[in-house]
Amino acid sequence: MRIAPYFAYARKCFLGRSAYRFDHLMSILSTCMQFFIFWGIYRALYGANSEIDGITFSMVTTNFILSMGLGAVFCPDDYFLPNKIWDGSIATELLRPISFKGRMIAENLGNAAFDLLFRFLPVLVIALLTVGVSAPASPVMLLLFLFSAFLGYGVLWTISFAVQMTSFWLINIWSLLTIKNVFVNVLSGSMIPLWFMPEWMNGILNFTPFSSIYFTPVQIYLGQLSYGEIAFKCGVQVLWIAGIYLIGNFLWKKGQQKLVVQGG
Amino acid sequence: MSLIEVKDISKTFKVSKRRGGVPGMLANLFVPKFERKEAVKNISLSIEKGEMVGFIGPNGAGKSTTIKMLSGILYPDSGEIIVDGFIPYKQRKNYVGRIGVVFGQKSQLQWDLPVIDSFELLKAIYRVPDAVYQKNLSRFTEMLDMGSFIRQPVRQLSLGQRMRADIVAALIHSPEIVFFDEPTIGIDVVGKETIRSFIRELNEQDKVTMLFTTHDMQDIEKTCKRLVIIDGGTKVYDGTLGGIREQYGTSRQLDVEFAGRAEIAPIDKVEMETIDENKKRFIFENRDIQINELMNQILSRYQVRDINISEPDIESIIRKIYNREVDGI
Repeated sequence: MRIAPYFAYARKCFLGRSAYRFDHLMSILSTCMQFFIFWGIYRALYGANSEIDGITFSMVTTNFILSMGLGAVFCPDDYFLPNKIWDGSIATELLRPISFKGRMIAENLGNAAFDLLFRFLPVLVIALLTVGVSAPASPVMLLLFLFSAFLGYGVLWTISFAVQMTSFWLINIWSLLTIKNVFVNVLSGSMIPLWFMPEWMNGILNFTPFSSIYFTPVQIYLGQLSYGEIAFKCGVQVLWIAGIYLIGNFLWKKGQQKLVVQGG
Repeated sequence: MSLIEVKDISKTFKVSKRRGGVPGMLANLFVPKFERKEAVKNISLSIEKGEMVGFIGPNGAGKSTTIKMLSGILYPDSGEIIVDGFIPYKQRKNYVGRIGVVFGQKSQLQWDLPVIDSFELLKAIYRVPDAVYQKNLSRFTEMLDMGSFIRQPVRQLSLGQRMRADIVAALIHSPEIVFFDEPTIGIDVVGKETIRSFIRELNEQDKVTMLFTTHDMQDIEKTCKRLVIIDGGTKVYDGTLGGIREQYGTSRQLDVEFAGRAEIAPIDKVEMETIDENKKRFIFENRDIQINELMNQILSRYQVRDINISEPDIESIIRKIYNREVDGI
C-alpha cells in the first residue's frame, strides 16, 4: 500500500478547511465559550474550596482545557459514509483505486491536523493567558500523554467508524450518531470530570471505551498514574481500538454487498 | 475471450413501499412494506477491445445498475462479470485503476476546490506519472476547451463546464475502458457536439473501449456502431445501428401531393392518412408491397404534383421498442 494517495487526501482536507474562514474563526470562539462556561460552573461549585475529594480546581481546569481542546481536534466526520450513501456519491468514491477506510482515516487526520494547529493551539494559548493550565507532571509524562491521546483518537475514530457502517442498512443514522455523541460527551469526562462520578458509575465505565478517549491521557498528563497503570490503560486503549475496528470492518464487508446507490 | 464478458447477471433491490398521507405514514411506521424490484434480469453481454457500444433503454431500465456492476460498485446477486481479467466487485481496488467512469448525474470533482486541484488529487490517487499527466491534461484541456475555467472552484461552474471537467477527471489516468453514464444530460447542442467529437476521437485514436448510455439518439448515431437496448432489466436488442432499421424499421412512408382534390380508393395493405386537402400519406410495410408497385398504382391513376419517400428515424423506432409496439420483443 503506497501512502502518497492517502497523503493527497489528507492534504486536500487540510487545505479545504481554509475555504470558509469566518466559520473557522467561529469554531475557535465556540470552543473557547464551551470551555469558559464549564470553567465558570466549576469555579462556582468549588466556591472557596481549593480542593474537593483531593481534586484541586487547577486539575479540573486542566481536565477541561485538555479534553475540550482535544475534543476540538478529535472530530472524525461522523457523516463521512452516511452522507455519501444518502446522496449516492458513494458510487464515485468506490471508483478510486484506494482503500475507502484508508481514505476515511486520511481525511480525518487531515482535518485533525488543521484543528490541532488552528483550533487547539489558539484555545490553549487563550486559556494559558487567562485562567492558567497546570504544567505536565514531567516531560516523560507529556510524551506519554501525547502517545495516549493519539490512542484516544483511535478509540473515538473506531467508534465513529463502526456506527457509520450501519448506514448501509439504515441510510439515515442521525439519531444513532446523536446517541453515540451523548455517550462520548458525558461518559468520557469532557463535561463531568470522571473523578466526580460515583464509585459504581466508574465501575461500569471501566468496561466501556469512553474513559479511554480523553480521561486516560488527562490522568497521564497530571501524573496521576504510575508507569504500570499507564501501560495497562494504554493496553486497554489498544484493545478497544482492535475490538471495535473488527466489528466495524465486519459491517463494512457485509454492507458493501448490500449497497444501494441512491439517486439513479 | 472478450475484453468485457458479462454472463447472466441479475440484481434485485428491496424497495420500501410507502402508503400516502398521515394514516399511511403511521401504518408504515409499524408495519413497513417492501417490494422486490428486479433492476437487472439475466443480462449477458460481451464487448471486444476497442469497441464503442451505445447502451440505451428507458428510464429505470437497469442501465445505470449494469454500469455500476461493471464498475465494481455494486455486487450482482447472481451471474459473472469479467473485465480485462478482473472480477470488478471482488477485486475493486486493483480493478478500478484501469477503468474510467463518468456519471452525468454525479460529479467526481471536489466541490470547493478549483478544477485543477481535483485533477492533481486524481493524479496522486492514480499515481499518474508526471509526463503522462501533463500530456493528457494539455490535450484534453484543448480538445474540450477548458482553459478559461480550469482554475475556478467547481461550485462556480456551469453544468456544461462541470461535465467537461468531469469527463477529463475520469480520463486523466489514461484508462483503456471507459463507461459513460449519460454524459450529455442537460447539455446544450454545442456542448453535446464537443463531447461527442471528443469521445469519438478518443475511441478512434486511442482505441479506448467504451460503453455509453444516453437518452439522446443523436449521441448514439454520431458515435457508436453497435447498440444494446435494454428494457425492464432484460436485453431486447444487441447489434449494429443499421441492423435495428432492418429489424424493426421496415415500414416506409410515402407523402404524395396531388394536383387537385384527391379521392383515393383504398389500397390493399397500405394505411392512408390525410395530411390536408390534396396531400395524403401512405404507410406500408416493405414486405407487404414493393415501393415501385405502390407508386405505379398511384401514378397511373392520379395526377401527382410531388412525391416524397422517407424511412422512420432511429428515434421513432426506439420509441416503438420502448412502447413494445414492435414484433419480436
